[in-house]
Amino acid sequence: MRIQVNARNRGFEFDALPGERVLYAGLRAGIDLPYECATGTCGTCKAKLLSGRVQDRWPDAPGRKLVKPQASEFLMCQCAAEEALTLEVSKFVYPVEPGACVPQTCSGTLRNVRALTHDVIGFALELDRPRDFDAGQFVLLATDGIAYRAYSMCNYQRGGRNLDFVVKRKADGAFSEWLFGANREGARLEAFGPLGKATFEPALGKNLLCIAGGSGLAGMMSILARATEARYFERYKVWVFFGIRTLRDAFFLRELSSYPKAEITVALSEEDVPEEAIQAWPSLKFEKGLVHEVAKRKMAGKYQNVRAYVAGPPPAVDAAIRVLLLDAKLTTDNIRYDKFS
Amino acid sequence: MAKHLVCRVADVPENGLRECEAEGGLKLVVANAGGEFFGFQAVCPHQDVPLCEGLFDGSTLTCHMHLWQWDVRTGAPLGIAETPLQRYPIAREGDALYLGGESTALDVGELFNGLAAGTLQKLTGLAKRENHPAGAVLYRPGDPAEDFFVLDSGRVEFLIGRGDRTSPGGFMLKKGEVFGWAALLEGTPARIASARCLEASSLLRINGRAALRVLEGDPAAGFTVMRRLAALIARYLASSGAR
Repeated sequence: MRIQVNARNRGFEFDALPGERVLYAGLRAGIDLPYECATGTCGTCKAKLLSGRVQDRWPDAPGRKLVKPQASEFLMCQCAAEEALTLEVSKFVYPVEPGACVPQTCSGTLRNVRALTHDVIGFALELDRPRDFDAGQFVLLATDGIAYRAYSMCNYQRGGRNLDFVVKRKADGAFSEWLFGANREGARLEAFGPLGKATFEPALGKNLLCIAGGSGLAGMMSILARATEARYFERYKVWVFFGIRTLRDAFFLRELSSYPKAEITVALSEEDVPEEAIQAWPSLKFEKGLVHEVAKRKMAGKYQNVRAYVAGPPPAVDAAIRVLLLDAKLTTDNIRYDKFS
Repeated sequence: MAKHLVCRVADVPENGLRECEAEGGLKLVVANAGGEFFGFQAVCPHQDVPLCEGLFDGSTLTCHMHLWQWDVRTGAPLGIAETPLQRYPIAREGDALYLGGESTALDVGELFNGLAAGTLQKLTGLAKRENHPAGAVLYRPGDPAEDFFVLDSGRVEFLIGRGDRTSPGGFMLKKGEVFGWAALLEGTPARIASARCLEASSLLRINGRAALRVLEGDPAAGFTVMRRLAALIARYLASSGAR
């Protein structure tokens, strides 16, 4: 089905498969349509229908409260074309940059499913075909009858077959409940991606500050892997702040310990730092406090030539951004985050 | 003009923000920058997020959602913000704040905001207001590009190509947006697109050469306008990397 998009600066045309969400069809065609979560919550991908009919695949999407149906607005990430469409997107839209990883639909098999903590599972998705992605990106994962959810990759590999993930159990999260509900080793998943703009490339040439709450650490692990591959630590400083409630919620401490040139601080918000943590992980630092407060305390005076990456639950992300803008005085192009929780 | 009360001075904390509904119903956000007060549209021009929930350090206003920023003195966009804020001058009388008139399309415009008052006044003197019904065609490909336009209200769309071989060339919908800017380039080139009003639209039409003469008399303003014009052209021609 032919879809025409009139954007603020120019028009685009692309084809969508039957049932395919308009957003995914456009991204797949190499058109950088606006999105953030790509899963129905943020409202960023709203468009106005000028002609044609769409089918809303998730009429109760939280992002719907940001659209005006009486003005023919809809979410491109939740609606599929029923016939040829003409849409208006009230933003500047460009083709994806040459060399960028264009998102595609792909499928794969769940491998190495393991409990990392009482409520975090780690697994790898072994793809049927290799895919490129940038450090810090995410993909949408779905399985039989369960809608796409966004998860950041923890690894970095060009042309790789394995994408590594961590998933935190959420009471209302259909995908996480499915994953925690039984042993899913060998299950088949569908993926769409890679997505997201909070990416790291070594050509950046800046010191890196990573602030992560809980499973937001995933994208930071990908950035650390990319930085290691490029010997980035020899030229630039890298700070990581990993916020969790108690030591019981910690994961990837062994992996974090394998980056001795990065300064890594684990912030515990709900308990004093246990002596055993200091003994067990001598190359990591532990502090008590909320992760943005710990970062603020320890980063004071060190913000020269810094690019910050932030991920985690929305309140933690907002608090960290506040510190980075008001205390660190970073410019907004040096604060990178994706809001998809 | 009737005086429209916005709020009391004490309602807006020092270096803070407050959303107010002025008498007459206008909603705006008021910023207190060390005892000076500035009024702006209440919601972010990006995605309609209330700006009163944003961050304000006394000089830069930041929308918390996507970190668009503006200079609180002018409403000019900073950093990754793509458009200026609609500004509402605030007048203080004793412990009360009143609306002090509305800024014009030229004042808030992406090319001209923040220029010296005398220069803005001369440009305003060149501007002819035109009102067009929906469907009106302002120019066609090949027409001489003598004038440029500043949108005040309404909506204008562009089509590239001729006859039935056309493709969409974008659209204008924000107060202060400038189009037909070829009139500001050397050699008065011809139009490369057609411009048509999608809705009843109010525009300011300004002769390009006359505007350039005004800017020659204020080289600082001329430099600012040409830098902004270059950025504006790049935004239309560029790929995503140039945002």
